[in-house]
Amino acid sequence: MHYFFQRFVFSLLSLFILTLITFLLSQVVPGDPAIVAAGPNAGAEKIELLRSEMGLDKPLTQQFLIYLEKLAQGDLGKSWFTHQPILEDLIRELPPSLELVIIAMIINLMISLPLGLCSARYNDTKFDSSVRLFAMIGAGLPIFWTALILQNVIGGELQLLPIAGRLSFEYRTFEGYTGFFLLDGLILGRLDVFFDALKHLILPAFSLSLLFTAVGLRITRTAMISEFQKDYVLLARTKAASEPRIMFKHVFPNGAPPSLTVFGMQFGWMLGATVLVEEIYGRPGIGRYAVKAVTQSDIHAVVAVVLVVGIVFLLANLVVDLLLYLLNPRGRVDK
Amino acid sequence: MKIFNLLASAFTALSVSLAIPFTATADVAGTLIIAENETPENLDPANATNSTVNQLLVGVYDALVQFKAGETSVSPQLATDWQVSDDGLQYTFNIRNDVKFHDGSSMTSADVVFTLDRLQAASAAVLNDMGPFKSAEAIDDYTVKMTLEAPFGPFISALSRIYIVSKAQVEPHMSDDNGRGWLAVNAAGSGPYSVTTYKPTEVVTLNAFEGYWGGWDGDHVAEVVFRYIAEPSTQLALLKSGEVHIAPDITVQDKLSLMNADGFRVDIGAAATPLYFQFNTSSDGLVGDASFRKMLAQTFDRKLHLDYVLQGFGTMPDGPLPPDWMGHSTGTELPFNMAAAKELVDQNGWAGSTLKVRYLPAIEEEQAAVEQLQSNLSQLGIKLEAEGMTWPAQAATVQDLATTSDINMIYNFPSFPDPHAILNTSFNSQNTGYNGGYNWAQYSNSEVDALLNQAASSADQNERATLYAKAQQMIGAEYPVITVSLPGSVVAMSSAVKGYRYSVAHHQTFNYMDISVD
Amino acid sequence: MKSFFNLTFFVKSPFEKLALGIVFFIILISFLGDFIVPYDPTQIDFRGKLQPPSLEHPLGQDGAGRDVLSRVLSGARLTVLSTFTVIFVVLVIGCTIGIFSAFAGGWIDNILMRIADIWLGFPPLILALGFAAALGASLEAAIWALIFSWWPNYARLSRMITLDILSKPFIAGAEVLGVPLWRKVTFYVLPNAFDVLIIQVALGVSAVMLSISGLSFIGVGAQIPAPEWGSMIADGRAHMSTAWWVVVFPGLAIFFSALSFNVVGDALRRELDPLLRRV
Repeated sequence: MHYFFQRFVFSLLSLFILTLITFLLSQVVPGDPAIVAAGPNAGAEKIELLRSEMGLDKPLTQQFLIYLEKLAQGDLGKSWFTHQPILEDLIRELPPSLELVIIAMIINLMISLPLGLCSARYNDTKFDSSVRLFAMIGAGLPIFWTALILQNVIGGELQLLPIAGRLSFEYRTFEGYTGFFLLDGLILGRLDVFFDALKHLILPAFSLSLLFTAVGLRITRTAMISEFQKDYVLLARTKAASEPRIMFKHVFPNGAPPSLTVFGMQFGWMLGATVLVEEIYGRPGIGRYAVKAVTQSDIHAVVAVVLVVGIVFLLANLVVDLLLYLLNPRGRVDK
Repeated sequence: MKIFNLLASAFTALSVSLAIPFTATADVAGTLIIAENETPENLDPANATNSTVNQLLVGVYDALVQFKAGETSVSPQLATDWQVSDDGLQYTFNIRNDVKFHDGSSMTSADVVFTLDRLQAASAAVLNDMGPFKSAEAIDDYTVKMTLEAPFGPFISALSRIYIVSKAQVEPHMSDDNGRGWLAVNAAGSGPYSVTTYKPTEVVTLNAFEGYWGGWDGDHVAEVVFRYIAEPSTQLALLKSGEVHIAPDITVQDKLSLMNADGFRVDIGAAATPLYFQFNTSSDGLVGDASFRKMLAQTFDRKLHLDYVLQGFGTMPDGPLPPDWMGHSTGTELPFNMAAAKELVDQNGWAGSTLKVRYLPAIEEEQAAVEQLQSNLSQLGIKLEAEGMTWPAQAATVQDLATTSDINMIYNFPSFPDPHAILNTSFNSQNTGYNGGYNWAQYSNSEVDALLNQAASSADQNERATLYAKAQQMIGAEYPVITVSLPGSVVAMSSAVKGYRYSVAHHQTFNYMDISVD
Repeated sequence: MKSFFNLTFFVKSPFEKLALGIVFFIILISFLGDFIVPYDPTQIDFRGKLQPPSLEHPLGQDGAGRDVLSRVLSGARLTVLSTFTVIFVVLVIGCTIGIFSAFAGGWIDNILMRIADIWLGFPPLILALGFAAALGASLEAAIWALIFSWWPNYARLSRMITLDILSKPFIAGAEVLGVPLWRKVTFYVLPNAFDVLIIQVALGVSAVMLSISGLSFIGVGAQIPAPEWGSMIADGRAHMSTAWWVVVFPGLAIFFSALSFNVVGDALRRELDPLLRRV
């Protein structure tokens, strides 16, 4: 427990450094935030007024403190473009992306873990070679290209899955509570919505996860291989323990931790990569929001996105740490 | 699955039509689905000069006067009639007494005055075309007097973009941003449709307003849905599968192929929306030099652009004004002539220089124009760097001379079909980018200003025509722009859509209030 | 180090030989540049807009009539140059910080590594968007963004290697002899780190390549008319259903390049890496 507490404190420290970095990022951007916030048709005096309102004439350290204070209150600023609080924008845009990343992560884990394990077990066989080949190919395919091709072929030509959007048109008035349509569908007992949302998630999630799956697969395989080479496996085999038992009860729990760490980081990276998939599949989400924010010089929004993705990244790592800690006391037969 | 879809949509249509009791003679039913590639920034009528905002608001709000789709002059809308004082400085409007806002309250002159006061306080973009408008006051409940600082010929036409909001709904939310925050996501109009869902990144839904003062004669749709789909290929796929009725942003190739396809129609509207390369005339660099611009002015092949990029959908430009407009003067821009340009480059040693152009990559035509210019200039030894942006970002860069790029691409969507809307907006020094307007060439010539202002305040059309012709000649002599094209409005739609007409005063919008769907 | 005198020793299977061949080919055409292209990659020809592959244009023509083959070949140079720029700068910065951190030890080491850990979590794509806002959308901005996001990888790696080397007995000997820091780094750390680093470079190339094309795809990397493979795909995506070649061929170029570097990196790792010796 002490270890976990330590990790938690480190995460808080990380969070602080993250806010510092994002604050500096917003300062580094050239161009005048006051001009951008004033919008078109503002006069020089209006811009000066805004400048002092936004506190841009105060010393840097003071601005940072104000920034932190606002963050604590959940005030991420206002988008000069939509005139709405950015926090509300994020509450709207984050769930669709998270949904996408979670499904993509599930696909990743469902492929990487079993295949990695079996490939390690049957090392140097034809099966292993094909898995390695698959991983190589997957690691070379650009996410956006896969997305385009899949959309065109499976969605367009073969019409097996929807081309774009989160839900079919007849569900356009569906309002959930959480913003996660899968979850809302289940909570509200609307299985039709649940399956429709799932149908719309398959292609984007698969496109997003392919690259990460290929990497995750290789790392899992590598970790499992080195695990299989350990002494206790040899010992267990001489004791004539059954192979599945060795694989699932010993090797897998012991070999999983290093790859789990990577999967945790991949969660954050995937969230950052949603931009490539969302635009193509016409899905709302944080990626599309970030692109819009940047191309509109909406600095507060960009900073807010970086901050939020960073926080998700830290949280994911924290969860992984927790999982590792939980896995740790159990099933260790080693050394 | 298909049967389920069919049943679901039938059920929806049935419930919608049952829920809204219209007069027996009218048929208000069905849903019109329009695809759009650019999400709207907000719902604020102060931003109605932006076409993605305007396309939503055009049936949600009313103005005192309005251009009906397909017409080039205004008809009364909220105003029944008006008088102009002899000195042209005072306009008195009588407004209707039977108009209801969507919340059920009645419109009075207080709402009109409030609308204008608010727009002035908020420095709204829609006021840019109102010229010397000074103030408005309510004479009585149904009479409004507007005062101008100077006579302004196109004043009545300019009022077509001033959407009247409900004072009772907006005033409580004025706070310190002039209601921009509230009006960004709420509508307070009196038009035939009201906004029922606003999810700007996905979908915006409008529903027919039963209490509309204009009544419901004929066939109309009960619901209008705007679906925001950025990808042209996705729009095409959805149009073909019937999930979208109007797909305006598909590629020119696709539009051509649909022209002869069953079940689809391609409407070609005679648009008057010039596309410009605007050169930063106030720059310290090369483009600030008129002789350099003279060279640039000869490096673009408009015919090639019209034939291959627009596939013939458009008119060959001849100067910044559409050739068939009042006041047009011919030959004010130099034709394409690479040999002459090369000579100038060699004489002045301009080879090896670098320029930058900003444009919107999302617009196929702009990208193609930039690519042509890049290719032509590179043959002269000049490097043209391109920087793709989105509209608000580009608009922000021209508000400061220091950040204005050498060249900017911009369309002029005239708010009303009058030379003032194009020449004044694009060339009057009051409207330069650093003054917040659309004169992104930062062009400033006091003699031209004088001509434009004089023409604006005159009521004599012949006099105005002469003045505008002279202004074009003066402008042309300084080469601030290349008029790239006068593209036609080419809209692909399902043949189930009935009643669509292109509206020259509301470019890139759809007259959904007149449309019905089979 | 001496094993590199025979450069191709590490490729065993025909598959790997092919991959190495492709890598050499890509680097070769990036040097040859515009000498080998049949057409000027930026020369527009609207009459040839979106023409399918033919004898004159084996890979077809794009939306502005440009020859796709020429653009793909020319794009190799852009891709290679920008990718290796990123890798090189990141290597230098990352190793400097990592080695410094390892030598410094203590709380400096702790703080630096903590910063590196958090930094790893910064989504490179989104950071790149920030740089595009700051510097204007351009290939330079994309390169800066990737440098900015990637240095922690090499920092941590070089730190780990340095610590491993510092724990070896011969370092104690060097201490006793009074060997100065810079000599320690140059003659002890770097030579031993080289093997591991070169593997990471080879593997990193494909990741950076994919990132750069991804950034160009969303519009914050290479600008028109640069024949960058990612932006070529972006240009062509509206025409996918009628002119698939504009999207497919640049995509294949990215794919084969990334794949080849991956295969080569893997082969290198198999032969060279004692530290991470897996099968």
